[in-house]
Amino acid sequence: MFAGLVAAMALIALAAAASRVALWRRGRAARADWLGGLIALPRRYLVDVHNIVAREPTTARMHGLTAGGLLAGSTLAALGALPGLRDSAAWWALTALAFAAMLAGAGIETRRRWPRRPARLSGGRFDHLPPLLVGYALGGLGFAAAALLRAPATLAAVPLALAGVCGLTLSSYAGRGPMRHAVAGALHLVFHPRPQRFGGRSVGLASESLDGERLGVETIADFAWNQLLSFDACVQCGRCEAACPAFAAGQPLNPKALIQDFVGALASRAHYSGNPHPHIRALAGGALVGGIIHPDTLWSCTTCRACVEECPMTIEPVDAVIGLRRHQTMMRGAVPDKAAARLDDLRGADEPGGRPLAARADFAAGLTLRVLAPGEACEVLLWLGEGAYDLRHGRTLRALVRLLRAGQVDFAILGEQERDCGDLARRLGDEASFAALAQANVETLASVRFNTILTCDPHALNSLRNDYPAFGGVYEVWHHTALLDALVSQGRLKLGRLAGRATYHDPCYLARYNGEVDAPRRLLDTLGLERIEMARHGVRSFCCGGGGGAPLADVEGELRIPDMRMAQAKATGAALVAVACPTCTAMLEGATGDRPDVRDVAELVWAAHEAGLAPERAL
Amino acid sequence: MIPNAEALLKPLKLKGLTIRNRVMSTSHAPGYAKDGKPQERYQLYHAKKAEGGIGLTMFGGSSSVALDSPATPWSQISVADDSVIPYFQSFAERVHGHGAKLMIQLTHMGRRTRWDAADWLPTLSASPRREPASRSIPREMEAEDIARVVADFAAAARRCQEGGLDGCEISAAHGHLIDQFFSPSVNQRTDGYGGSLTNRMRLGREVLEAMRHATGDDFIIGVRLAGDELLKNGLSPEESLEICATLAREGLADFLNIVGGQARDEMAHAVSLPNMSFPVAPFLHLASAIKREVDIPVFHAQRISDLATAARAVAEGHVDMVAMTRAHIADPFLVKKLSEGREDDIRQCVGAGYCIDRIYVGADALCLQNAATGREATMPHAIARADVKRRAVVVGAGPGGLEAARVLAERGHGVVLFEKSATVGGQINLAATAGWREALSGIPRWLFGQVKKLGVDVRLGREASEADILAENPDVVILATGGAPSRGHAPGAELSVTTADVLSGATAPAGSVLLFDDMGQHNAASVAELLAKRGCLVEFATPDRMAAQEVGTTNQPVHYRELYKLGVIFSPNLELIEVYREGNRLVAALRNTYTEAEEERVVDHVVVDYGTLPVAGPYAALKAKSINKGRIDQNALVAGEPQPFARDEGFAVYRIGDALAGRNIHAAIYDALRLCKDI
Repeated sequence: MFAGLVAAMALIALAAAASRVALWRRGRAARADWLGGLIALPRRYLVDVHNIVAREPTTARMHGLTAGGLLAGSTLAALGALPGLRDSAAWWALTALAFAAMLAGAGIETRRRWPRRPARLSGGRFDHLPPLLVGYALGGLGFAAAALLRAPATLAAVPLALAGVCGLTLSSYAGRGPMRHAVAGALHLVFHPRPQRFGGRSVGLASESLDGERLGVETIADFAWNQLLSFDACVQCGRCEAACPAFAAGQPLNPKALIQDFVGALASRAHYSGNPHPHIRALAGGALVGGIIHPDTLWSCTTCRACVEECPMTIEPVDAVIGLRRHQTMMRGAVPDKAAARLDDLRGADEPGGRPLAARADFAAGLTLRVLAPGEACEVLLWLGEGAYDLRHGRTLRALVRLLRAGQVDFAILGEQERDCGDLARRLGDEASFAALAQANVETLASVRFNTILTCDPHALNSLRNDYPAFGGVYEVWHHTALLDALVSQGRLKLGRLAGRATYHDPCYLARYNGEVDAPRRLLDTLGLERIEMARHGVRSFCCGGGGGAPLADVEGELRIPDMRMAQAKATGAALVAVACPTCTAMLEGATGDRPDVRDVAELVWAAHEAGLAPERAL
Repeated sequence: MIPNAEALLKPLKLKGLTIRNRVMSTSHAPGYAKDGKPQERYQLYHAKKAEGGIGLTMFGGSSSVALDSPATPWSQISVADDSVIPYFQSFAERVHGHGAKLMIQLTHMGRRTRWDAADWLPTLSASPRREPASRSIPREMEAEDIARVVADFAAAARRCQEGGLDGCEISAAHGHLIDQFFSPSVNQRTDGYGGSLTNRMRLGREVLEAMRHATGDDFIIGVRLAGDELLKNGLSPEESLEICATLAREGLADFLNIVGGQARDEMAHAVSLPNMSFPVAPFLHLASAIKREVDIPVFHAQRISDLATAARAVAEGHVDMVAMTRAHIADPFLVKKLSEGREDDIRQCVGAGYCIDRIYVGADALCLQNAATGREATMPHAIARADVKRRAVVVGAGPGGLEAARVLAERGHGVVLFEKSATVGGQINLAATAGWREALSGIPRWLFGQVKKLGVDVRLGREASEADILAENPDVVILATGGAPSRGHAPGAELSVTTADVLSGATAPAGSVLLFDDMGQHNAASVAELLAKRGCLVEFATPDRMAAQEVGTTNQPVHYRELYKLGVIFSPNLELIEVYREGNRLVAALRNTYTEAEEERVVDHVVVDYGTLPVAGPYAALKAKSINKGRIDQNALVAGEPQPFARDEGFAVYRIGDALAGRNIHAAIYDALRLCKDI
């Protein structure tokens, strides 16, 4: 009897899922290793997905008990129809146990949503989950108990009916509703667009052929089919929403709503009952991007990847944003005003400020840096980045240069041969400018010899390390905090001690994109600073608001992201925010009022070096 | 952060020379040369700026190339013989050691100097026209004189090169010999050196060509000249532009250093060295105009006292290098602080002109607010921390008390600063009330900013009693209680009010005022201006030969200009002998200091300035309990050693500034620095 129910449920779920397959097939072709994906599925689910889900232990418990109980209970109960098992008390006890576990999980889910549902969770059919899950679990438990106690069939019919009603409803929700995540999620794990991310790291953006008639994503059908599949995997848990700095600042971007915008566009019907994008303005003349989202939503994204980092379904909203931006930028020229000027300068001058490339080294006036001529060699090639033009970051670079000299590092710069790395162009969707810059830089880098590239700019680091390999440039790229850490640990830098309380702000492009969180912390500890962590730190750090060209779009919100981050830093009671990125420095120093000082780790190491063996001094 | 600051921190290439940033100090005459040589004091003064991050420091304003341009009047440098070369070499080594570049100004002053100095040689010029400032009537130069002076310049340039300097400029500004030839106001010649502009330029051209010939192509040679002499019959902006364009086009000069005005008389002198009454960068437009016509770097100085203006001047393309000469006298670490993001720590020049006014009376240049400048051998710009932390109480937050609190806090001591009024600044607050002297308020503003930053426990609105001070259990007490204005001792003095009463608003005289000044300082002149502007009829009487006699040459003309405009009557050579009532008016009895003839004025108010007398505060009580009985060991003080009073128990009490005797801001600050740096 229960076997029939389970079979019906499975059939309904499969039918519901099948109705989505046609929708996914509307997407662009994309190659996917289905066999490898299938083989890797258990590991991807049990390790990668679990690691993310387990950041919220209660939710992890809820899901483990509910999903595990449902699958186990249903399977056991269905198999209970087999002759050998039909009368096994142990079998039915085990079945009852599975449903009891599911009931416990459903109880946690109920507690999570009632009496008040947290803002980040969606309502609608998601609010049906507690009664349906509790009902199915109770039904299954009752059925198993009846079988165990050999109760009359009429008595077993009551729980069976309950399980039937709830179970069949749940199954029907596999097409349009909360249970879609189970089928689409599993398939997404098999056909994931970034399979390298499992057990590793995959953050470089896919390059796009510039020969096509239509570049980027114009309509929903321009996404790859497995991206469309990934959107369907969304379980609307809102972890992305809670992590998104733009959403927190009241800018019109909610990554969860964004994914559901895509889902809605795919099925041409919206059934979304979560938080919308905040403060959406009336469209003044323009059109929705791809007929799907407001331009402000598209340009609010800082590409910080907090949503990617938090998504238990391993969805990649940033890739979707970049895809849409590519079409807007390259096909329509529809970029935010300030970004247009920067991109123009990038195209004309290889530098987003339109400044002479030779002026990049002006910060070092008086320090006389060695410029590597074609054919020459050095141990460390110092990549200066766009920050070198900025007076504030010049202080960091001067400190670094002095430290490299003190540590007797053989280093040089490219001088006017260093073009912009192209990060800004790429994040703004200008793949053509990025490709031109990347190719030119790869050629220049091929003309000189060096062991490693060193940079203070995590954006340049990320481009050189993760974006350039596609252009034939494979380099060992070091962030300055890592190199300084190495110099200190090798005893090549003598350091005095600093006093004071400091907190460290992880740059997204260093921590989340590249997983480097330890070296700067080790350095701060070595300097003698009392290090206090902000609640959001490491790979789960909160963006400064400066990435992805978002400051150029400057989309209005309720708060400024850097002000929020600075408030978090201030709340630690630290007198100092240590930073490791020119963009973070500029954004955080833009916070007004009484606040901690902002100092790059290199500046602090230099201060400690200067302090030398002198007694402790306050900052 | 200062807008456009990055524009200042870009290197400048000048032929083979790379100057690390766009901030410089122009050649000037601090009066530090000894025996015509830049010796240790002179070198340390510039080396400190180099240490402070300046790109180019130029020294030796009006360094002379010939004996008939004597180096002695302002303790100048003589480049007229080879004996100066070793001094240049050690100087260059010092400055280069800090990464800065070093250049000198060479000149022949022509008629703009004295014949009764050094070698008693007559002055010479293009034509025998008397110069008002130097009062000398020059001899007209003959062809042989011209040839000799050209050769003198060339020889001097060679000495600079051999001395390891990075370059030099010739002065064709401020009415020196070269521009005496340029200027139709002096040059009346009818030979090949007079008449047309080409002819008037001939001497300058010959000098530059000879210098180039003597030094080769790589040596940097620039010209300092006026963009506009601001003088009837003088060099017009159009002619200046043509000279500049020619110098650039023909490669005669590697850079141009542009000024506005000249210095032939006292008013012109004050205009060419603008004080705080002028807006900032008053002559930037002249340099800017020339910058548009030439393809060589343009430098410019003249009251660019703040980095925001400097950055704007460079960023907007008006000039290539901005000279902040007086700004560096106030703070030699200007550029370092800018590049380290510590702009708030910069002690900004207020434009008091104290530095330059001193050299025109034959003294050495000192900064009104920075007592370490020019005293680098003995006074620290950066205060070292003390080995032992002590508790200090400073009473009075005028300039002396603030400086004492700052220095003691920099030493690492715990400092409590009491001030009886609600604001810091002391008498500066009064001085800053008057007309164009407002910028003086920058002095206590910076000091107070530092004091707060250093964590000094500041207690405003609290007149410190003996008990208050002892409650802090101090090791040292500094009494900087200042001075109170005196009404003098003439019979009826009680009927008069003081200049301080007027400035503080305690009294607001109307009608006719007899202003009697016994001090010759800014105070009475400022108050005369203030009262006249309020509509009073003001007669300015003084026993001196002239009003404001002690005020220096860049400030006094501004006072005179304003007071003449307002119709103030100057009555010098009179002393006030009595004041008495007549009806509801006052009679001031005056006596001529030369004839002793007496005269009377019937006026509504008598306002006097007799300076200040010390405010004792809690001195008497503390003196008795102190270990040093209030004494300062002068030998230790002058030698830069700690005061020799045992500090095992009890406390020492010292008085500084006007609390000892009424003097000036610099005296109070110097008292504080040299005492406290060793505590």
